[in-house]
Amino acid sequence: MLKIRELVKIYPGPVAALQGVDLDVPRGMFGLLGPNGAGKTTLMRIVAGLLEPTSGRITLDGEDLTGHPEKLWPHLGYLPQDFGFFPHLSGEKMLMYLLKLKGVQAPGGLKNLCGELLERVNLTFAAKRKVKGYSGGMRQRLGIAQAIAGNPRLLIADEPTAGLDPEERLRFYRLLSELAADRTVILSTHIVEDVAVLCPSFAVIRSGRLLTVTTPSAVRNGLHGSIFEGTVQPEDYELLRQDRCVTQAFLVEGKNRVRVYQPDGAPPDGFVSVTPTLEDGYLVLMRGYATSFQSTELTGKYVTNGTSQEVSR
Amino acid sequence: MSLRRFSTVFGRDMAHNSRRLVFWIWVALLVFFTWSLSSGVARIQSGDSSVGGTKAFITSEFAVTQILVILMTLIYGFFVSVVAGMTIIQDDEYRVGELLHSTSLQPGEYIWGKFFAVLVSSAAVLALHTFAMIICNHATPAGTTQEFRGPLEVANYIRPALIFGLPTLVFYAGLTFAVGEWTRRPILVFFLPVAALLGSIFFLWDWSPSWLDPNIDRFLMLIDPAGFRWLNETQLKVDRGVNFYNSAHVPMDGLLIANRLLFLSLGLLAVACTHWHFKASLRNVSRRAERAWKLRPAEDAVESISLAPAIQPLAGLAMSASRPGLFSGAWTVMCGELAELRSSPGLYLFVPLLIFEAVGPNMLAVGAFDTPILLTSGTFAVRTLNPLTSLVCLLLLFYTVESLWRERNTRLAAISMATPIRTGSILLGKGLANSFVGVAIMLLMFAIGCGWLLYQGKVGIEILPFLLIWGLMLIPTLLLWTSFVMATLSLTRNRFATYGIAIVVLGFTGYRQVTGKINWVGNWPLWSAVQWSDMSVIELDRLALGLNRTMALGLAMLFTVLTTRLYARRDLDAAETVNRLRPLPLLKSAVWLLPVALVPLIAGGLLWAQVDRGFQGEGPKKLQKDYWRKNLATYVDWPLPDITAIDVSVDIEPVSGRLKVVGTYALINNHEKAIAEIPVSGGLHWESPTWSFDGESVQPKNRSGLFIFTPKSPLVTGGTAKLGFEFSGNFPKGITKNGGGTNEFILPSGVVLTSFGTSFVPSLGFNQGVGIDDENKYESKEYPDDFYVGQTDSAFGSRKPYSTRVRISGPEHLQYNSVGTLRSENVKDGTRTVVWESDQPVNFFNIVAGNWEVRRGQGTAIYYHKAHGYNIESMVEALDAARKYYSEWFRPFPWQELKLSEFPALASYAQGFPTDITFSESIGFLTNNDARADASFMVTAHESAHQWWGNIITPGKGPGGNLLSEGTSHFSTMLLFEQVKGIRSRIEFAKKIEDSYAKGRSSDSERPLVKTDGSRDGDTTVTYDKTGWVLWMLMNEMGRDRMLAGIREFFEIYHANPDHPVLQDFLAVLRPHSADASAFDAFAKQWFFEVVVPEYKLSEFKKTKQGERWLVTAKIENVGTGTMPVEVAATQKERFPEAGGREPAADYREIRTTISLVAGGSAAVRLECEFEPNALVVDPDAKVLMLRRKAAIAKF
Repeated sequence: MLKIRELVKIYPGPVAALQGVDLDVPRGMFGLLGPNGAGKTTLMRIVAGLLEPTSGRITLDGEDLTGHPEKLWPHLGYLPQDFGFFPHLSGEKMLMYLLKLKGVQAPGGLKNLCGELLERVNLTFAAKRKVKGYSGGMRQRLGIAQAIAGNPRLLIADEPTAGLDPEERLRFYRLLSELAADRTVILSTHIVEDVAVLCPSFAVIRSGRLLTVTTPSAVRNGLHGSIFEGTVQPEDYELLRQDRCVTQAFLVEGKNRVRVYQPDGAPPDGFVSVTPTLEDGYLVLMRGYATSFQSTELTGKYVTNGTSQEVSR
Repeated sequence: MSLRRFSTVFGRDMAHNSRRLVFWIWVALLVFFTWSLSSGVARIQSGDSSVGGTKAFITSEFAVTQILVILMTLIYGFFVSVVAGMTIIQDDEYRVGELLHSTSLQPGEYIWGKFFAVLVSSAAVLALHTFAMIICNHATPAGTTQEFRGPLEVANYIRPALIFGLPTLVFYAGLTFAVGEWTRRPILVFFLPVAALLGSIFFLWDWSPSWLDPNIDRFLMLIDPAGFRWLNETQLKVDRGVNFYNSAHVPMDGLLIANRLLFLSLGLLAVACTHWHFKASLRNVSRRAERAWKLRPAEDAVESISLAPAIQPLAGLAMSASRPGLFSGAWTVMCGELAELRSSPGLYLFVPLLIFEAVGPNMLAVGAFDTPILLTSGTFAVRTLNPLTSLVCLLLLFYTVESLWRERNTRLAAISMATPIRTGSILLGKGLANSFVGVAIMLLMFAIGCGWLLYQGKVGIEILPFLLIWGLMLIPTLLLWTSFVMATLSLTRNRFATYGIAIVVLGFTGYRQVTGKINWVGNWPLWSAVQWSDMSVIELDRLALGLNRTMALGLAMLFTVLTTRLYARRDLDAAETVNRLRPLPLLKSAVWLLPVALVPLIAGGLLWAQVDRGFQGEGPKKLQKDYWRKNLATYVDWPLPDITAIDVSVDIEPVSGRLKVVGTYALINNHEKAIAEIPVSGGLHWESPTWSFDGESVQPKNRSGLFIFTPKSPLVTGGTAKLGFEFSGNFPKGITKNGGGTNEFILPSGVVLTSFGTSFVPSLGFNQGVGIDDENKYESKEYPDDFYVGQTDSAFGSRKPYSTRVRISGPEHLQYNSVGTLRSENVKDGTRTVVWESDQPVNFFNIVAGNWEVRRGQGTAIYYHKAHGYNIESMVEALDAARKYYSEWFRPFPWQELKLSEFPALASYAQGFPTDITFSESIGFLTNNDARADASFMVTAHESAHQWWGNIITPGKGPGGNLLSEGTSHFSTMLLFEQVKGIRSRIEFAKKIEDSYAKGRSSDSERPLVKTDGSRDGDTTVTYDKTGWVLWMLMNEMGRDRMLAGIREFFEIYHANPDHPVLQDFLAVLRPHSADASAFDAFAKQWFFEVVVPEYKLSEFKKTKQGERWLVTAKIENVGTGTMPVEVAATQKERFPEAGGREPAADYREIRTTISLVAGGSAAVRLECEFEPNALVVDPDAKVLMLRRKAAIAKF
């Protein structure tokens, strides 16, 4: 179990990137959802030991990592949001180099392991090519290969699917799911679909504060019967947006296909109740129409409308 | 191009530059240097050094120009290159490029905007520097430097900045900007300033042999980026006098204008090319890229085929992980770094450049009188130590910083820093990889050194010197430097700040070194501290070297520990950092570091104490100053008795450097008055000296080292006394201040002791040369014109010659030489005891010991190190010829044998003691001689001449005295060269000493020969070189036989004469021998009583064919001073085409005419030849001393 307590990070400016985050991350896949600039990457970098927090504490299975990130590194698989490689090494040599840095071992030897890992991220064809010739997606896959190498107790993937095509994204989902069976995997993303597909539980973060810790089903249940969908003329859309909580709107053949959140009262004319999605819940939270979709199974301290709330099992 | 967008780019970069630390370090460094110059901490040596003499202003346009052009290469070049070269690369690193170029921003706006931002920022630094110079030189209190400051003339600052500064800035900025954009490699950006620095210092600014073709010289002036060669060759080399330099503007000629325009254009052209390249690369129109695209197989197809493979569970791979060990991790990192280094093109540029700069000058190195040096393994290792240290330190600076920053640059840090690899492994691995570069360079240099030794074909290869010098001396320096750079980068977390700090540290150390203020404690690179001698391997200062290297290794350890603590694996929190900087945490850190700091602290402390106590330390320095202050006024001209006999017994223990001396001086008062007190100077190394006077033990008054003996009754005229002395001590006492060597010593491998000082015997009277420094100095004595009339004291040694008996005992394996004849020698219980007695009286004496072979000639002997037999035949030839011909020409050699004894290269000199010449291994034993340069013959001939000029006749004290010792010895050498080696060797020697005079003279302080007393700048070259030349010209004027007859009479009159002669006495004896007294007087007047030097300039030269004959016409001017008949020759082919040839080539043809030109006069030259001439040469036989001989040759 990864425990984060009262984590604060203030950058010179000052900019408060994290404002007292408390979070328990259970074994399995855990999503960290939030808009750009919410503090996700800061939190991930602090957990990975690459950024010193201003205050707070982090423990993994009871071991304090705050002042001693080196204790975590042997057990960590980390895929940063922004990374690169030595440009003059081939993909295979680069991966081999990183495996050695991580102290990874395998019965068939490191060279075989490299081949296996590259195959899993579909880079066998480019193994001998210098990394400087890789496309963005190929680099991302090479990053994934190094992150899943070894037997990490904690795997952190920060925006991992950026740059991946749908097929590679599916491949990656499968790898992560497999890994999450017996370890903690944190998936930090602003793509709700990733969380919806992969994470049995997740936290939502905004402006350095934790909004909620919940599960996709809790969100969907919380919205049950309150999401309606209908079509409006373009000239009526602005009026609707002012009156109602619009979660999603698509312009289809000149008309707006709109979903609204309507927990009480009658929906707009012509709107019908639909099955809520996680994205609906996320947007409702972001726009402040709901305080949380708290799961009864999870623990976390989050802040809504400036009031701290403690939830426990 | 949109001005608005251009301005946006320009303004943004200007704002960025103004906040960059590197700019402010740059400015701070220049301001510090400016302040140092203005406050007298650093000073340009020029002008008249005598008290009250005219000084060269540091505010003149010449001085400002000189400073600026040097700083342009030393400081500006590096900083502007970093700033300009990195500006595009940084945009790459920040990954703003694609975003920027997807806007309407045009490549031209971007490139020129960024370039002008760099240029204007750099120009702003230049402006600030100029302003700082004006403020420091004119608005701050001058103190003692007032005499170096002239009136404020703003043009003196603005003109150099615009003419010399700005074009150089544009050149560096433009070219490095282009390199950065084309290669996108930070390391390559440093190539230009490093290459320019090395090329300038080791070649462009310095290389100007006397035989250099003027056209090549002009070409080299044209291609000097800083313009220093032009300034030096055309304005500074021939000293035009301080008044000229203080008041004149630097004149502009066509060559300078072309040079400045060339580099201005090159800089701008480079930016224009960058613009083109950048534009092309943005559109991907690179032909190479197109070709590559066409040739490359459709890899994406391969990718699509391999989609959807059957994925096996990850668990099946059975992966595990454990923290890598320190060394296995370091190995991994090292391999990764080496792979990156292999891909670094800079390495392939830097390493050959570095090796060329370190090795090249040594292969072409010349020693005394431009004679090529014969390198041995040891001399090669030591001579390359300075450049190797400096250059590898620079290389390691760049590669260490870039290596530590590599993960950040490539953005791998986000992954690699979160791996379990130990920080120690990362640092060790990177350090090892970079060390590999250093080791590879050393191995390459070792191979080249061995190759060169084989090519020389004389000297064997030895490994030990390389191991000692490069292994024990250089490697700790490199470890220290690398760890320092790592610690600095870890602390600052800014690579540009690290570059700045490291360059400041290097510059500061160099500045302390150049100003002579550095000592063993501060000399971490061991610059110029290590001497090599095949005879004495690191014997002198062994303790200091040991402590210094221990300190270096200790500091390396300390910096490594600091680096390990500070190395940025994670980004620190600002608030936490502030907390860490509170006193208590800092104190805790200091306590934690204390155990590691103990080694360097203790070693440094011990070293400092040793330096302070050593014979060049502050303690002895103070004692010497006290000696000078306390005794100068009373005892400087105190009447002294003469010595009639010396009997001294010296027991030497070379291993411990100790000696024990017991001896007596027999004294006589030859003055007309009685002497009440006899002052005697002792040595600082003397322990518990005891004295006796006429057999009775006495306790003289000790006035800070000057012992005052008061006889019971004053020593009356003709009265005699016997002074006894006994002491023991270590010599030299303690270590040197900063290595480098010493003139006298007792070491296990050899001994050199002389009676010039107080190393092994007391010296009668007060020694004016002891204790003089900036505080203790006095105006040189002004002698009246007729000072020499009557009896003149001797310039050195005793007033009257005396007899000596020197008993020496020491280890059996050494041989012991002294003056006179060996009377006895016996060996008992491993101790050799010898007794030397003078067979004719002497004025001074010495002891020299060594483990030698002996080569005997005709009444001569050379004692030399067994491995140094290379030039023995040439030296024996010189010694035999000197004894024979000088005896014929001057006076028969009075002593039995003439010896020459080699001593270790802890000093580079030779001294002609009576019968016993001491001769350093570095100036004649290890040279490659040929007809153009033969130091072995030359130095032997010169020192042998001192047996006559100095020993048989000791010159008088006063102006023109020492010239009769040194100048006459040079003249004798010219005679001997022509006699033994032929005219070519004499011409080459004459040209060399003429060149030495041109370079070493100081036109402001130069006085006529009869007034030269050695107290002014440039007097040394006048004493040796000019006097030698003038005597040669006098011989041409008088005729050889008449001159030699006069000299013989001179010896007859003045040998064993208590009236010691000066130049006027010499001329008075020669004059009657001259066939034409008025011509003699005219010659003597201009060359002995005035300061004149002709300088001939040829112009309007051409050759025309007239039937079967050729007509050569030219205009010749004497732009110097003096009037001399000079020959002008039209020549065909080389006169002496072969290096070793003594006689003119068979196909050489010439025709001559003689012209006499007054100062400022000119004449037409007209020569008709029966051959087609290819050159017109003024003074082909080197018979007239002149300046700028190279300008007096015209090639058709």
